Amino acid sequence: MTGISNSFWPVRLASVVGVVALCFALDRVVLAAAPAQYRLLILASLFVILAVSLNLINGITGQFSIGHAAFAMIGAYTAGTLSKNPTFANMPPAQLLAVMTLIGALTAATFGFIVGLPSLRLRGDYLAIVTLGFGEIIRIVTNATESLGGSYGMPVAPKVQLLWWSLLMMAVCIALCRNLLKTTHGLTFLAVREDEVAGLAMGVNVTMTKVVAFVIGAAFAGAAGAILAHTEAFISPRTFPMEMSFIILTMVVLGGTGSITGSALAAVVLFAIPEYLRTLTDAQGKAYEMNAGLFMGVLIGIMIAVAASKWIQTNVHEKGKKLGFYAGAWLAVIPLGFLFQTILHLSPTLKQLSFGIDILRYAVFAVVLIALMLLRPQGIFGHHEIGWHWFRKRPAGATEGGAA
Amino acid sequence: MSEAQPILRLDEATIKFGGLTAVNKVSFELNRGDIFGLIGPNGAGKTTCFNLITGVYKPTSGEIYFQGQPIGGLAPNKIATRGICRTFQNIRLFSALSSVENVMIGAHLRHKVPLVGALMLSAKSVAETSALREHAMHLLELVNLADYANHRSADMSYGKQRRLEIARALATDPELILLDEPAAGMNPQEKEELLYTVRRIRDELNKTVLVIEHDMRFVMGLCERIVVLDHGEEIAQGPPDAIRNNPKVIEAYLGEPA
Ligand SMILES: Nc1ncnc2c1ncn2[C@@H]1O[C@H](COP(=O)(O)OP(=O)(O)OP(=O)(O)O)[C@@H](O)[C@H]1O
Ligand SMILES: [Mg+2]
Repeated sequence: MTGISNSFWPVRLASVVGVVALCFALDRVVLAAAPAQYRLLILASLFVILAVSLNLINGITGQFSIGHAAFAMIGAYTAGTLSKNPTFANMPPAQLLAVMTLIGALTAATFGFIVGLPSLRLRGDYLAIVTLGFGEIIRIVTNATESLGGSYGMPVAPKVQLLWWSLLMMAVCIALCRNLLKTTHGLTFLAVREDEVAGLAMGVNVTMTKVVAFVIGAAFAGAAGAILAHTEAFISPRTFPMEMSFIILTMVVLGGTGSITGSALAAVVLFAIPEYLRTLTDAQGKAYEMNAGLFMGVLIGIMIAVAASKWIQTNVHEKGKKLGFYAGAWLAVIPLGFLFQTILHLSPTLKQLSFGIDILRYAVFAVVLIALMLLRPQGIFGHHEIGWHWFRKRPAGATEGGAA
Repeated sequence: MSEAQPILRLDEATIKFGGLTAVNKVSFELNRGDIFGLIGPNGAGKTTCFNLITGVYKPTSGEIYFQGQPIGGLAPNKIATRGICRTFQNIRLFSALSSVENVMIGAHLRHKVPLVGALMLSAKSVAETSALREHAMHLLELVNLADYANHRSADMSYGKQRRLEIARALATDPELILLDEPAAGMNPQEKEELLYTVRRIRDELNKTVLVIEHDMRFVMGLCERIVVLDHGEEIAQGPPDAIRNNPKVIEAYLGEPA
């Protein structure tokens, strides 16, 4: 596939039309078959946008940013404030949502640029601290600003829930990142991640590349925020807690830093799990609770299994033996869990204590992250993309080659 | 621009790190088409010289001219754009990427399609990317790595990684290429091939070459002129034969056969 083939434009047109049609079709199908899930699917697609856009900054460009929710918040509050303006208020809903998405994206991108420029001279941990601080500042300032509704929050009118639009934005976000990686431009982003000094020596404008990643990433987060504001019709600082940034980060790390499809998939799964847990109730309609002692016991068991796996990874080399060792280590979690529960229950306070199942997810996320960092730092999918090529035979190699 | 003008000129280039003068008033000139050697014992300031030329450090005093223009203190990526590219003593490849991708990043410097085109995956950017890939493959052939195009660069042997760095630097299409100990860690046969490759870079690709190397047989066999540094000072300059017999050089290397 070299050069421009005759079929380039027809294929391009067909794929764009196809994606738009698919978004509409999905919207109709969900509306007809599962209207109760309509809003949740919008939220899921927004989280995919957030994860994939953070992946551009964190995974592809290698800039450890952990304040992504702040950009979504900026987009949301921009949309919430501007849609009150009579110029916009009289628009048809779909048009309003589109305009607000665009403005939210632009505002967030501007902030991305402002934050990006000075902080991009920082590396690693320092950048992480600055982005974290930025996120908190935005949240606290909003909390204290009466005209933005302060800590109570602000209603957003009109309420516009359009699944096809958020799906379309998701498709655009994924497509842009994927396109980038298919060209040499994308390689320069990866070069910044791999080695800045070598990148500079090859003429890569490292600062510019980082700023561009920040601006594009922030823009998509802002777009997601604007859509979120109109979907929920109400936003407050509590809509964008610090945990949100961490959850998005978990999605990226879990999916594989650098893998677009990986982070998209992780976003859906990590969004779905707590939503599912929330629907779990017992016969009386009460949320399930878990005994704190048992929970902690199992966590301790898992940490031991992780440590054992790490040891197996480096010290056992024979394949069959390795599998056996892994199986043993992870099966041991069950008896270990009960063992530690018994020990922990020596404390009467712990024996009484229990948590709602959906709150425990934070602890689960933390454990998953730690396990991943130890056992597979590149994330579940590593730098690889999920795609048709998994089902084909292909030569060994790290590249995803060729053009679409 | 006259042909007589040196392509690179160091004019009393100096850099101090705190109390240490790593490079002290070093001056030398490279003419177009030279294969020029930069030698000296460990810690002499050779790599620091490269870092000055490529903009990693700004000279404390003195100036560096490339094609007649002062470049001291320009950003490294600007200097690469002007036409100087280098390899690194402590190999710095883009480890997680394949060989061909490493070389394509070098070639990226000479590309034209703007970022927006890439994001839209415009026909032009697709065509350009495959053209750059092809160009990268040619360069991999030049350094005998065509069979390793899709191998993760970090997984390759030391000698191959050094050759890959040369291909990546060549991909930026520089006028002047700086090689920092390209033969380090190579076996005699690989060194022989490298000698041949560097000559081809000069003769067929018309590049000027500045090379740091500890292997004296290699340097003496390759370079037409050599400058010797010791403790940041320039102690000798001239053709290989004169350098070999220079008492100052022999003393600096103290017993090492020069
Ligand atoms: N960034 C820096 N800060 C402080 N000192 C430095 C720095 N870079 C280099 N030096 C010092 O400058 C001196 C020259 O180092 P340089 O790496 O240029 O030596 P070299 O000639 O390349 O030696 P080798 O043959 O071992 O590679 C050394 O003493 C080194 O410690
Ligand atoms: Mg050195």
